Amino acid sequence: MDLQLRDRRVSVFGPDVGIVAACRRVLLAEGAVLAESSSGDSYPEADVVIAVGGVRPGSDLLEISDPDELYAAWDDVTNAVDAYRAALPRMLDQKWGRFIWVGSAQAKSVDAEADELAAMASLGMLGLHKVITGEVGSNAITANAVLRGGIATDEDVANAVTFLCSEGAAYLSGITITVDGGAGSGIF
Amino acid sequence: MDYGISGRVAIVSGGSRGIGRAIATTFAHEGAKVVIASRTLSNLEETLAELEEIAPGRVHGIAASMTDPESVARVVAESRDRFGPISIAISNVIGHVIDAAKEGSGPGAGTFEGMGTEAYREEFTQLLISSWALARACVPDMQHQGWGRICNIGSGVAREPSTNLPHLLPNVVRAPVAGMHRLMAARLASDGITVNNILTGSILTERNRSYWVWLARERNITVAEATQDMTDRIPLGRFGEPSEMAALVAFLCSDRARMVTGQSIPVGGGGSAHL
Repeated sequence: MDLQLRDRRVSVFGPDVGIVAACRRVLLAEGAVLAESSSGDSYPEADVVIAVGGVRPGSDLLEISDPDELYAAWDDVTNAVDAYRAALPRMLDQKWGRFIWVGSAQAKSVDAEADELAAMASLGMLGLHKVITGEVGSNAITANAVLRGGIATDEDVANAVTFLCSEGAAYLSGITITVDGGAGSGIF
Repeated sequence: MDYGISGRVAIVSGGSRGIGRAIATTFAHEGAKVVIASRTLSNLEETLAELEEIAPGRVHGIAASMTDPESVARVVAESRDRFGPISIAISNVIGHVIDAAKEGSGPGAGTFEGMGTEAYREEFTQLLISSWALARACVPDMQHQGWGRICNIGSGVAREPSTNLPHLLPNVVRAPVAGMHRLMAARLASDGITVNNILTGSILTERNRSYWVWLARERNITVAEATQDMTDRIPLGRFGEPSEMAALVAFLCSDRARMVTGQSIPVGGGGSAHL
């Protein structure tokens, strides 16, 4: 299937280098190009922004004693917001854009080994995506999330991300696709 | 029904007004020892006088910020010194008020396009750091007793972000707070501690009234029209009273609700659409 991503400018960033690299690889194979920022310290005006959340396996909110650890996880959200907003003017101008967050499936279904900080950040992004959908969705700009769980590979995640970037996903916004090999137990 | 919380020590943040005051009042009637904490001493004194009538010698007030973890720890220590180990912790802190002159004390209004990330951080402090700090400071007492109740006064936008009102900040931060309580519930269940979260809907508080004044101005309609518009969205056809929030909170904090944990429960007259 032609995903109609040829020459789309994509920006992929985040602390998880494996997923960032996999997303770039799959998107470039579909003909997309990497967006570059005009200055080194700002986010580029991309057509597609993919923000990948950090992972902190086994993080336990009750074991943390320093609130700075919570703020550090929240920085994943505010960095995504900064990147999204940097791209927004171009998206509004051309009436096309894709925002995608890659986060933790534990945002929706808790397990014993939960990465609690990642779940918390992802829930913030899901709320933000509903706001974006309501505010700018009529400009053919969508905001969706891929939540990884189980033993999903970087490639599994990148495939779902790339689908959400495609024209076939134009009517999906404010949704999540959980990529977990069926590990989660929640129905909704 | 005996809720089984007579003699238990309860801390209610934001306990001097609105929903917090209603919860503190209900606990006082149920025989608990109640500590209310709030930033404003004058509000605190007025509410304390009322509570003292219901529960002489069983109420205490502390003027303190409930968003700074060190201040929260001091409130918990003072409460323990006064009444003994903490059994019940109610987190009830409002969101970041960006401009009280413009929007009353309503929730952080703004748009994705226009709002910078510093405000996101402020909201995170108000709503998430505050409830995390209170739970964390009270959990050791609860674990020691093998009994505890943590309940957060959250918002319905955690499950259904509001897109017809410009509530960017609560829309983004309320869901992480709900998730945090779900995660803490899993960690604490084996200690006899339950953790729940209220998805507050349309409750008639002073804060809500001041919000309608702002909303009416924003939409260029009368306050009565703004109120009617909000009321029309509620299947039960009316706003709820703070005491109706307190009724659920008291049940969740009772011994009878020992099997109910990790839940986010709406109190909104049927106004939530989610299954």
